[in-house]
Amino acid sequence: MATTTTAPKLKTHVGERIRRTEDPRLITGAACYLDDITRPGMLHAAVLRSPYAAARINSISIEDALALPGVKAVYVGKDVESVGGVPCAGSMPDLRIPNHKILAGDRVYYVGHPVAAVVATDKYIAADAIERIEVDYEPTELVSDPEEALQEGAVKVHPEYPDNVAFTFSQEGGDVEEAFRQADVIVKEKILVPRLAPIPIETRGVVAEYDEGSQELTIYSSTQIPHLLRTQLALQLNMPEHHVRVIAPEVGGGFGSKCNVWAEEALAAFVAMELKQPVKWVESRRESILVVAHGRAHVDTLELAAKNDGTLLGLKLHILCDIGAHHQLLTPIIPTLAVLMLPGLYKFRSFKADLIGAFTNRAPSDLYRGAGRPEATYVIERMVDKLAAEIGMDPAEIRFKNFPASTDFPFNSATGLQYDSGDYATAFNKALDIVDYKARRAEQEAARAEGRLYGIGISTYGEICAFGPSPATPAGGWESASVNVEATGKVAVMTGISPHGQGEETSFAQLTADALGIPMDDIVVVHGDTAKVHYGIGTFGSRGISIGGSALHLALQDVVAKATKYAAHMMGVDAETVTFEGGVFSSEATDSTLTLADVALEAHLCRQLPPGTEPGLAATRFFEPSNFAFPFGAHICVTEVDKETGEVDIQRFVAVDDCGRIINPLLVEGQIHGGIAQGLGPAFQEGVIYDDEGQLLNGTLMDYSIPKARNMPWIETDRTETPSPVNPLGTKGVGEAGTIGSLPAFVNSVVDALSPLGIEHIDIPMTSQSIWNAIHERSRT
Amino acid sequence: MTLKGTYKLPARRQKVWDALLDPGVLARTLPGCKSLEAVGPDEYRMNMALAISSLKGVFEGKVRIEDQQPPESYRLTVQGRGKIGFVNGGGSFRLRESEGAETEIEYQGDVKAGGTIASVGQRLMNMTSKMMIKRFFTALEKELTPPV
Repeated sequence: MATTTTAPKLKTHVGERIRRTEDPRLITGAACYLDDITRPGMLHAAVLRSPYAAARINSISIEDALALPGVKAVYVGKDVESVGGVPCAGSMPDLRIPNHKILAGDRVYYVGHPVAAVVATDKYIAADAIERIEVDYEPTELVSDPEEALQEGAVKVHPEYPDNVAFTFSQEGGDVEEAFRQADVIVKEKILVPRLAPIPIETRGVVAEYDEGSQELTIYSSTQIPHLLRTQLALQLNMPEHHVRVIAPEVGGGFGSKCNVWAEEALAAFVAMELKQPVKWVESRRESILVVAHGRAHVDTLELAAKNDGTLLGLKLHILCDIGAHHQLLTPIIPTLAVLMLPGLYKFRSFKADLIGAFTNRAPSDLYRGAGRPEATYVIERMVDKLAAEIGMDPAEIRFKNFPASTDFPFNSATGLQYDSGDYATAFNKALDIVDYKARRAEQEAARAEGRLYGIGISTYGEICAFGPSPATPAGGWESASVNVEATGKVAVMTGISPHGQGEETSFAQLTADALGIPMDDIVVVHGDTAKVHYGIGTFGSRGISIGGSALHLALQDVVAKATKYAAHMMGVDAETVTFEGGVFSSEATDSTLTLADVALEAHLCRQLPPGTEPGLAATRFFEPSNFAFPFGAHICVTEVDKETGEVDIQRFVAVDDCGRIINPLLVEGQIHGGIAQGLGPAFQEGVIYDDEGQLLNGTLMDYSIPKARNMPWIETDRTETPSPVNPLGTKGVGEAGTIGSLPAFVNSVVDALSPLGIEHIDIPMTSQSIWNAIHERSRT
Repeated sequence: MTLKGTYKLPARRQKVWDALLDPGVLARTLPGCKSLEAVGPDEYRMNMALAISSLKGVFEGKVRIEDQQPPESYRLTVQGRGKIGFVNGGGSFRLRESEGAETEIEYQGDVKAGGTIASVGQRLMNMTSKMMIKRFFTALEKELTPPV
């Protein structure tokens, strides 16, 4: 009698807290970052940058630099005119795109504008030679402040655009004027969202190498988007794409700053082709803070109309975005995301937004972690709190009142987005329970009775992720994945996303291990090389798991279907009768089993398979979602402000985040923790400072203050899981959540603490000094 | 950045005035001054070494003296450029004779810096400027004090 044996069920991987398979090589120093790369005969480049925010270049003298032993070449603007400009993907009808050359022509427009490049046998000679270049600058009038830039008679950043308007964008939904007529209460505020420097631990860098024989250009770049960079470089250099190979080595953080196409990338490529020698350029930290597109840079003016019972009616918004002197890849698109996400998690009936991008004599601004959504969430969460204070309603209650119900999904926002799924009240209630909201309010009352400044700040945030449907994205919203079961039974996964800290080598191996029933050790995840992975878009906008992972999911299904067919043939049974579990194909009818490795070997040897069977066991699939995914959550921050010093003590920080289905909770928590740090930094200390001459005044990490470990609170995380219906994994994305949710929770908490003094708003960064000043202005009057 | 202050020198006003407008004296007393040569009436070319924060550099600059009201007041404008950026400044000097053959100098001016010196040295600019002014006046005082 045949006995049924069940293959021992392997441990499942999806949903488990599995440590990152990337970490051993990172911790032991075995990883290869951009600056670890050397090529035979490699030269080193350095870039000379303008010290002026606006100047004419009368002449450049390079003789002294060329005379320095070891210097191979010096390039100025006119030498690289054949190279196409830095691309911009915006598409507003009135978008103005000034010619963004890779080296300045006869004018410079911002401090840090690249003016010349030196190529030498080592980086120290290159740096010394830079100092020997004599540039005769003739400083011209300039405008540094974005509000001044839009005033009549302001200095023109680009003489061809007399009003400094780079683009405009408007959106309207519902009857906003009627909403304001019906309102019992209207609250207004002007809120500044300062420029932020992205500060990846690894700065930008490029190695370019050209093979004259094959005419192949290989670009190693510390990038988030190797495939898009390949296309853009091919266009800039007028080469066929198949002659350009882009490799993203280990990338030490990006936060959006490497989701760009930079002048230095094309410059290095041009130099390598000119000199027929490999060349490396690695950015210094000073250059990074000075010119790597800053994020945010908004001046927002808001008006919110509501009923006395807290019902939100309408919202008017004016965004002035300081875009700097030039566009980078996504500069005009980022503030439109802020417009789209401004209604947050609330059922607004009407909405009107005007966005204006202003040219200034400052470095370009572009995406930084969250890209538009932190700006939106910060201002709407401030406004809702301000309204609650105005009508004397609890800030938790006003939020519950305006959430759509979990049965309202898909929910159409006032800006025309369709939020895929959500259960806002459950996540919020969980956060309130963890912090014990009622007890905190009681504690606040007791503290106030003693004259102490104790605050509870709430932020219920929404997020747009998993970019995205192609028609709504500038460069294609799909992603590719290939699965190849090798003859030995080991599996290679090729993905078009380009992780740089997110840990997808781990999470993709988890998905693969479960789908194929094999150990994670048998799986290698390949990414970041256009020669190994032929198609891809890259990693940004929390698209790794949801889009790249979904493509992988489809490819894995194909592989399993193929292998099941082959196994059935090998066992002489119908494919429908074969079960696949734990990496083993079994047929009850014949009481036989085959492992995935058995089938993979046969698929390569093709000895038993029917003639005409395609050899190998591989599949490639693309995935494009029907919609974005919309994660959400609630952050609550409890603070006490020292009246004497303005110092803020964060006593509790609770983050309940819902990013859909979770593949690896450990990675999710890592994203939340890092995200919160990058949200809290600008809340209390970060921000790029320009003076009225367009000079950046805090250009080192001694001056530009990112949060240190001692500034961070203990973070209490929890989650709810509301699957997304727009991708087969049900995931939503978590790359930006912490950054988006944390900033308003902190600010609302401090304003709540200070509210007994009549303080309604303090702009960020809320330094101890600005808080102290606000306290003392109040006590003087 | 605005700089202002006063300094008392142990000499009569005319003597202080003459010293302040003497290129030889200035070359000896301006901190970091490598050379100072006249290129026109009341206009000088200057080379000056400057160290601020982690930056060190030589500035080449022009110094111009304007609005002279001898021996009471004048304006000074400075434009300097170097590898680590540029510094532009201007200020007025008023000389008042006080009792005991002393002269009080009141100065007030603005300094603007650009380039690396602005983004890296901003934190220390104010302190460095004050220190340099103090060194200048101390050196000038030495010039004006007859050897014992």
